[in-house]
Amino acid sequence: MKKAEFSVRGSDTLHAFAWGSATASVLVIGIVIGSRGLKDFDPALVSYAGASVLAAFGLGYRYAMWLRRPPTRLYWRRGWQVFLQPRRLPANIAHLGRIFLDNFVMQRFIEKRSSLRWTAHWFLAWGCLLAAAITFPLSFGWVRFETARDSQEIYKAFMFGFPVGSFRLGTPIAELTFNILDIAAVMVLIGVFFALWRRSRDHGAMSVQQFANDLLPLIMLFAISITGLFLTASTHLMHGLHYVFLSQLHAITVILTLLYLPFGKFFHIFQRPAQLAIDFYKRAGIEGEQAICVRCAQPYGSKMQMEDLKTLQEMLCIKYQLADGTHYQDVCPACRRKNLALAQDGLWKSLGTDVRGR
Amino acid sequence: MAKLPTDIPELVKQFGPTMHSVPPGGWAHTGQDETLVKTHCCFCGQQCGIQLRVRDNKVVGFEPWESFPFNRGKLCPKGVKRYMQDEHPDRLKSPMQRIEGQGFAPIAWDAAMERVVGEIRRIQETYGNDAFGILSGASLTNEKAYLMGKFARVALRTANIDYNGRLCMVSAGAASKKVFGIDRSANPWSDIPKAKVILVAGANIAECAPITTDYLWQARDNGGKLIILDPRMTPIARNADLFIPVRSGGDIGVFNGMLHVMIERGWIDRDFIAQHTTGFNEVIESVKKYTPEYAAKIAGVPAELIVKAAELWGPAPTSFLLHARGIEHHSKGVDNCLAAINLVVASGRIGREGCGYAMITGQGNGQGAREQGQKCDQLPGNRDISNPEHRKYIAGVWGVAEESIPQKGLSAVPLVEAIHEGKIKGLLSICFNPVVSLPDSNFTRAALEKLEFYVNIEFFLSESARYADIVLAGSLMEEDDGTTTNVEGRVIRHRRAVTPPDGAREDWKILNEIASRLGHADKFNYNSPREIFEELRIASKGGVSDYSGMTWDRIGENNGLFWPCPENGHPGTPRLYEGGKFGHPDGKAHFIPIDWHPSAEMPDEEYPIILTTGRVVSHFLSGTQTRRIASLMEQYPQPRCEIHPRLAEKLGIADNDFVKVESRRGQIVVRAQLVKTIRPDTVFVPYHWPLDRSANNCTIRAIDPVSNIPEFKICAVRVSKTEEPTDAIAKLEMEAGGIR
Amino acid sequence: MSESAFFIDHSRCIGCQSCVQACAECDTHRGVSMIHLETIQRSDSVQTAPQVCMHCEDPICARVCPADAIKKTPDGVVQSSLKPRCIGCSNCVVSCPFGVPKYSAQIDQMMKCDMCYDRSSIGKKPMCASVCPSGALTYTTMEEIQRTRSGIPINTWRFGEEIVKTKVYVMVPREVERIDVSLVQISGTPSPLAADPYDVALMLEGAQ
Repeated sequence: MKKAEFSVRGSDTLHAFAWGSATASVLVIGIVIGSRGLKDFDPALVSYAGASVLAAFGLGYRYAMWLRRPPTRLYWRRGWQVFLQPRRLPANIAHLGRIFLDNFVMQRFIEKRSSLRWTAHWFLAWGCLLAAAITFPLSFGWVRFETARDSQEIYKAFMFGFPVGSFRLGTPIAELTFNILDIAAVMVLIGVFFALWRRSRDHGAMSVQQFANDLLPLIMLFAISITGLFLTASTHLMHGLHYVFLSQLHAITVILTLLYLPFGKFFHIFQRPAQLAIDFYKRAGIEGEQAICVRCAQPYGSKMQMEDLKTLQEMLCIKYQLADGTHYQDVCPACRRKNLALAQDGLWKSLGTDVRGR
Repeated sequence: MAKLPTDIPELVKQFGPTMHSVPPGGWAHTGQDETLVKTHCCFCGQQCGIQLRVRDNKVVGFEPWESFPFNRGKLCPKGVKRYMQDEHPDRLKSPMQRIEGQGFAPIAWDAAMERVVGEIRRIQETYGNDAFGILSGASLTNEKAYLMGKFARVALRTANIDYNGRLCMVSAGAASKKVFGIDRSANPWSDIPKAKVILVAGANIAECAPITTDYLWQARDNGGKLIILDPRMTPIARNADLFIPVRSGGDIGVFNGMLHVMIERGWIDRDFIAQHTTGFNEVIESVKKYTPEYAAKIAGVPAELIVKAAELWGPAPTSFLLHARGIEHHSKGVDNCLAAINLVVASGRIGREGCGYAMITGQGNGQGAREQGQKCDQLPGNRDISNPEHRKYIAGVWGVAEESIPQKGLSAVPLVEAIHEGKIKGLLSICFNPVVSLPDSNFTRAALEKLEFYVNIEFFLSESARYADIVLAGSLMEEDDGTTTNVEGRVIRHRRAVTPPDGAREDWKILNEIASRLGHADKFNYNSPREIFEELRIASKGGVSDYSGMTWDRIGENNGLFWPCPENGHPGTPRLYEGGKFGHPDGKAHFIPIDWHPSAEMPDEEYPIILTTGRVVSHFLSGTQTRRIASLMEQYPQPRCEIHPRLAEKLGIADNDFVKVESRRGQIVVRAQLVKTIRPDTVFVPYHWPLDRSANNCTIRAIDPVSNIPEFKICAVRVSKTEEPTDAIAKLEMEAGGIR
Repeated sequence: MSESAFFIDHSRCIGCQSCVQACAECDTHRGVSMIHLETIQRSDSVQTAPQVCMHCEDPICARVCPADAIKKTPDGVVQSSLKPRCIGCSNCVVSCPFGVPKYSAQIDQMMKCDMCYDRSSIGKKPMCASVCPSGALTYTTMEEIQRTRSGIPINTWRFGEEIVKTKVYVMVPREVERIDVSLVQISGTPSPLAADPYDVALMLEGAQ
């Protein structure tokens, strides 16, 4: 029965289905309201919006399933508990800002893994985020542009129906606005290039990478970016050559990626913020009481974490209670290693020296 | 020439030792455009096969070489990280000349050579040929070792050449020669797992010859018993069937005691002794008094351990003896070995499968470098320099008059003493760091200061090279082709992986050039090390270590060839003495009776503790290479004084305290390490560090009368707790002799 | 020739650290060593304990991972945490019964021995087992190990009530079927041994 905790129970699926539906519903409602009852909704982009709703369902479903895992649930709750402690909250919020900058904006922890990996990831991440920041609001009808009534030269931007600014054609801001997706596409392509370079030269990476997990996402991002750039090229350089075909091709790449979002490597975008929660949990652990190893009497981690682990192990049917009343969780990792060797060596020694060789 | 050119911290700043921790291209760069070069580790006499990863003429890593039969891919930590010595920032890339008050400055090769040759001429013309000495090394290839001997006798015509194998293999070699007539391990290592009992005397195999460990454990898994003699419980001893914590210098007690019991109980092979040996009756007489009780007193262990050892060794069907520096580094080192070997010969268990004996060579080419004629008393092929026949043959090979070859010269320690006395005025050294590795370092330093001229061929500026007038930038093992002879007597190929950096030169080219400038161009006109080998094998022909049937190609194809290999196509001789045929003219093994006598300096009231010295696994010899490799330093960063808690308590010393270890000759300050795994009358300090951390500040300049090996393994000291030293040397990094 | 497996014989270990040095040469984590080599208690003994990942059939490290970041390859090798997922909580580090995973604060990620996947996945030996001079770590076939060793390989462990099966084997005397860690005194040496089995002073007194 040890596997029980991993088997998907019917109630889990139902639960996750409900969360998926809820997430999708919220997005649909958001689209309807945000586009002022679909008044601002661009029917040409309906396939994108539809795929986004499906992706929202998938994300909700997957996130709920993920949170059904006992360790995840435990730390989800623990993370919020530690974060929201009234006494700590102000300091926690300040710290959040700092680690948001370090871990999310600059992604420093990746830089320490390798600068090549960081370069690739930073371009990929910010290229994608930039593109997402434009395309999702556009396809949801949350943002629209129109020319001013009195001048064809002036563009106005509306968000949720409210005017948020205007600019004149030909100005740098206009160029930037109209080309921002191209910039994003180039950033992604740079990222893809570095990532593929690394994945084709680093023996270590090559040995552990898997096509579906590590290469497919890069191929998808490459496809989206390159077809997007083709669209621009078609419009500006080739007088609209094959525009319809290209735009359909682009749409297909985007929609497939959106549908892949909840289930593949990209899910980490949504899962990753848990790192921030763990950061608070670890800080609380360091400040709190330390666990003392029953063998060497040295501290080896936070008492809170060890106690949580014992709870968790019970949920997972991991039975670390020892016969003498002690608990294996109370032995530090170094002593566990020493114990093993002592146990193994002791077996040879206790049976006498002539046990070897016969 | 006089004192150091400038103070030590300044020299360290300029030339290291500093640590190197990242391979060329960084850790992240993996596996592109590389070639693999099959060669051997430069450290230690095991000479493990290893493949070096080479990219852009740089060694960037290693790959195990699993098909090499001796080590089958296995490596010790030194082997794993050996590649870090390439591309090292301390590497000498130009000849250097001493600048008074400043240190050393680069000098052009031509000017350096001019100076060297001029000084050699001046000194030899003023004081005689023998006033210029040579100290060579046992980590050189066979080709270079051969060249050094020829260089001394033909180019310099000095009698005074010796090598640092004098600190390593000479006791074992002398004993082996006396008993068997041949100086080589009798068996290939493949015989070890087949032995039913193995006696390891004075060999910390786990740290000094780690690859041999698996052979021992294989034997145990085959049902073999393991007996270990050592004043310290080494990692091998921990799992031995019998560990005898013998007092340093008391080994003869154990050996003679064992033989006494064996004779008493009839565990000797009388037929073998009668047919194949001489002198056993004298041995019977000599061990009569070595009752277990008498023997135990000498050995400093309970008598029952000696009886148990005899009970394991005596009746065994097959057996193997391994010994190393622990019994050899004594002023009675040869006697110790002889007493041990007597156990082998008396049992008749030699010259067959699973039966035999081996000495564990320590230095890179510990076996080969002692055969090619760079010892003070020897000519190539293990020939005797005072034997007219031998001289004549070699004179013929060299194309010189027999009488032009000098007679026997001084061995390493007397040679340094002659420098100290002012008899030797000039010195050329290569592959030797005497201020760290010779006993009584203060004396060695004082001697070097008296030289009129000192030229040192080195790749890093070693602690000894600091005393030089000219340092010639030589080559690392992987920068040149050649052969070495491993612990088994297997001659193997070192293949060049990279070329020396610009400004440095292959050692043999340097020697060629000096010899040519001295007017011997016709005798030193080699174009490659292969040509040197071709001459070497002719020179060895008919000698004891006969390489004449070997070629580089055959050595490479066969993963090595065992000497003697006396004719073309000869398969080599992995196992000696088969059928009880020994190397003496009478074909017999010669027993030599041995009686114990005390070491040169026994503990007394003033200096009541025994100091014994040795190695740790992550360092090699004087440390001039391994102290420059960061990961090896991290493993064992500074010497510690191992001391039993009982002794420590008496002396008021706690773990990790700073302690002063002082003898009549000098002192060191190191950290104490309290361990129950050492005899309470003995302390141990490893010797790989220089200056105030050099265990050899304390050791005694006493040598064995036959082998001339120094007594590194026992001297009398006192140990006391002290304050943390704060002088300029103590402040240096640990690799340079500092303390933390 | 059947497939190779990993065998540990802790009692053979001489503590030379070849494995530690070589581990850092493995391409999946070059420059960082993943293997553990513990000195049990140097003041009392020279005994040392090498520990590679045992590659459990049902890895506890993966079960307690909140990020679902620890995965096994189809050939049964438990990999380092997936970089995009690992959130650095160290649950695996303190839950592994063998004390194997390492958390690196610098990169905020758990890394562990992956049996040198760059090597073992293409039939080469892992670095540590290639170089190990004592044979404490060996990568070879089951037939070969049974032919050359006096003991037998086992891969079943008990920690309290928890039974763990591993891909990596450990050599034990023939009588033994499983190692019960719960039987080892958690503090001090195993009970069948004398209090101070390696004290040279006691040996000299003949107190063995």
